[in-house]
Amino acid sequence: MSPPARRTILVAAFVLTAIAGAFTLEQMLSLRPDRPFGHTHMGHLAGWVGLGVISLVFLYSYRKRSTPDRCWPKGWFRVHMAAGVAGPLLILVHAGNHFHALVPILAMLAMGLVVLSGIIGQAVHYLVLRTLHEQRRELAQQGLSEDEIDARLHLMASQEKVFCFWQYLHAPVTVTFLVLVLLHIGGALYFGGF
Amino acid sequence: MYLPLPSSILPITLALTLLLIGWLGWANERDPESLWAPGDLSQYHAEIGTCTSCHQAFRGPTTAKCVGCHSLQWFADISEATVKEFHQSKIRNGRSCLDCHTEHRGRLGQIVIGETGNPHGEYIFLATGTRSCTDCHAFGSGPGKPTMLLENDLSRSLFAKGSGAHQPGEFADCLQCHVARSQ
Repeated sequence: MSPPARRTILVAAFVLTAIAGAFTLEQMLSLRPDRPFGHTHMGHLAGWVGLGVISLVFLYSYRKRSTPDRCWPKGWFRVHMAAGVAGPLLILVHAGNHFHALVPILAMLAMGLVVLSGIIGQAVHYLVLRTLHEQRRELAQQGLSEDEIDARLHLMASQEKVFCFWQYLHAPVTVTFLVLVLLHIGGALYFGGF
Repeated sequence: MYLPLPSSILPITLALTLLLIGWLGWANERDPESLWAPGDLSQYHAEIGTCTSCHQAFRGPTTAKCVGCHSLQWFADISEATVKEFHQSKIRNGRSCLDCHTEHRGRLGQIVIGETGNPHGEYIFLATGTRSCTDCHAFGSGPGKPTMLLENDLSRSLFAKGSGAHQPGEFADCLQCHVARSQ
């Protein structure tokens, strides 16, 4: 099995296990008070903490755009990935597998799309960087000069745009997700009280 | 490698989001329950038409709203004696209906908190030789209260059998003293 295939299977297994684990934990937490965990004070707290963790992902977006002339903020990207996984998992514990009201369902779908597109995007970048590295080594073995190698690799790199469909999903759906989250919080406070 | 999105993405995203908000606003006018409710109303409240019949804005469901329909007179008119006295005393004492009641648990769901689960645990039937909650309890006057316990031969024999350990409220923790056997 090739390393990319193995990595894909590992990531998919982690995602499925994490989702199943979050839903199972919510079910266990819902047993004792005899009501969904999300309707308890602790459930509300899990939602707020999840939202707080999710908000950390925007630090990377801010750093990337605020200082475009500097090098890529790798450390903030790690925070972006970690918060982009941990926050939604907390939201899954907060929500559980109870699907009735349309607004939180849509918010959950939007969140899922953002996370999934992020994971796909990270995988695409991993594959492209790996392929570029291999190509550079092969071209060097064929005796091409550094300039020739750079020219060919630049052509390859530009073709990454083909894979960039995930970007068209990742950032725009984030806006939709935030709007739906605000509606969900507004509705919950309006009908449920403070 | 970061490739910025085309500048047209932002207005398109905003337009689609506004469209979504408009659609949700329209749906909110037609059927707000489908947008916001965590579950269907029970059969007891299914005929209620608007959310604000029970929910007060930014305060949630309030006792004042409940008592608007379930007044002292309402209990006097339709309830049996224990239910009437129990609820009338709660209303007079200003207790919250939400201490015991919940909603949005589905059309056939129960609206008394704890009623769907067995507070004694699953071994209680095996331990006592009973088959149903109603072998020992009368329902309708509030969950978990001593007044709900039936004074019948079974309950008297269980109290006697415990040599003082079996008291009202203690049965919920039966596994603290009793060990469950596999056979």
